Amino acid sequence: MRNGDYSPNRFQAQTDTVNLICGAKTQLNPENTVGVLTMAGKGVRVLVTPTSDLGKILACMHGLEIGSEMNLAAGIQVAQLALKHRQNKKQQQRIIVFAGGPVKYDKKMLEMIGRKLKKNSIALDVVNFGEEDEGKAEKLEALVAAVNNNDSSHVVHVPPGPSALSDVLISSPIFTGDGEGGSSFAAAAAGGVSGFEFGVDPNLDPELALALRVSMEEERARQEAAAEEAAKQESGEHSASQDATISENVNTGTTEPENKSKDQMDDENAFLQQALAMSMGDSSSAVATRDTEMSEATTDDHDLQLGENLCWLAKFHFLTCVLFSFVFSLSLLTIRSDVVHYPLCLYLCSILLMLLVIFLQYCCFP
Amino acid sequence: MACLHDHSCEEHDCSSDWSLYKHIDLSKVSALNEAVSGSVKSVFRAWEQRLNSSEGHLESNEGDPELIVFIPFTSDVKIKSISVVGGADGTSPAKMRAFINRDGIDFSDAQNMQPVQEWDLVENLQGVLEYQTRYSRFQSVGNITLHFPENFGGETCQIHYIGLKGEATQLKRDVVATIVYEVMPNPSDHKTRAETGGGLSQVE
Repeated sequence: MRNGDYSPNRFQAQTDTVNLICGAKTQLNPENTVGVLTMAGKGVRVLVTPTSDLGKILACMHGLEIGSEMNLAAGIQVAQLALKHRQNKKQQQRIIVFAGGPVKYDKKMLEMIGRKLKKNSIALDVVNFGEEDEGKAEKLEALVAAVNNNDSSHVVHVPPGPSALSDVLISSPIFTGDGEGGSSFAAAAAGGVSGFEFGVDPNLDPELALALRVSMEEERARQEAAAEEAAKQESGEHSASQDATISENVNTGTTEPENKSKDQMDDENAFLQQALAMSMGDSSSAVATRDTEMSEATTDDHDLQLGENLCWLAKFHFLTCVLFSFVFSLSLLTIRSDVVHYPLCLYLCSILLMLLVIFLQYCCFP
Repeated sequence: MACLHDHSCEEHDCSSDWSLYKHIDLSKVSALNEAVSGSVKSVFRAWEQRLNSSEGHLESNEGDPELIVFIPFTSDVKIKSISVVGGADGTSPAKMRAFINRDGIDFSDAQNMQPVQEWDLVENLQGVLEYQTRYSRFQSVGNITLHFPENFGGETCQIHYIGLKGEATQLKRDVVATIVYEVMPNPSDHKTRAETGGGLSQVE
């Protein structure tokens, strides 16, 4: 396990992957619990009983020692027992095994273990890495085939190579077999951000998260469009470059006021066209990045404009309703000048005014 | 204890007696060692439909005829008798053991624990046999677990119908202890307006 064929060494790679998996599982559903046990050394030892506290799990991975051989059967049996005594009986049971050392049990024994797991509806994932024993891959395949019920159990063979063990596993069904949640966490982890998509907590700021998601999709659409344009450009169509030029104009103009004169555009048009033609010849990816910036700038504009419009509309509505109620009350008073019911009229008018304001407020801000 | 029920009696309508299937919480019914996940739910039907297993039946895995069926009810019931229709060619269960009001029993528990009652079954393909219970022990049943350890020599164990006869009280057991509260809010459970459309967000 000190071997350096997995970077930095097998044991460290395994620790990192375990941490990643525990994080992914606890993120997936707040009622998930994860426990860790070791099966080499003096004997099988449960490091932490199933808990949803990620800190405890990460802490227990420190101070582990390498030594002796792994005992696969005993490890799985103790895991089964630990799962049996879980607090919430409604949770589904799953065992994830990191098999770094050689497997000294024979195929029959492993198949028996597999059938027993299947009978108690426990799913099993196996990560085969490290020591490449003869028959080890077959034995593990047979084990998972015996447990597998409806594609819930997987075995992943990771040969030694330059990429990290965790990276290989992120794209495997062990991470993604759970559906959307696992893959989004994996993508975020690969990007080095905190567990949330785009680094923004949807709980704290749902609008920002939504805006980021929308702009991401727009950027993707833009990139595809830009890729198409670049392809067209290479085949020699002139109109594509003009479109790109105009979009470049908008990009430079966002900091200035919206109403630009036509002459300005025409002047810069020719200049930018030249520059663009040169850069287009170099690489099509540069266009893509510029388009990305542009798309984000326009979405900001849209939001600002929308906000402004809304404010203005609200003020307009408020003023009109004030005016209307004033006129109405005046007319009432003039008509019934002889009737001594001034206070009542004023009172009714003020109520009307309030109701109108509230009503229009609801109209503006649904 | 098995008693033969002559079905051509006109004094009472048998189907109303076997109506406890209406009080079963079908979404929470589960089975261990079933070949097709979820097939256990098709086993609970009306008395008239007991031989009609067109929607599927419960079958154990190849070569292993043990089965455990966990049946929770929506309210406490009193079970008078149980009827089981098995499969042909020795796939019918031979023994039945019942456990009451216990959660999460698996095979090792079932083999070690003393059941509330145990029956020796016979092949009952027409569904005319019923097995009486010791009624005093089955007075307030919130859930029942049936364990079928053996069959009549077939490769698998098949169950086409399980009927329960008895009365339903309107009482519910004290279920507070079995509720797991939310440890942390799960964003996907609380969709706010902001996620469905634009505009200001309001948590409703």
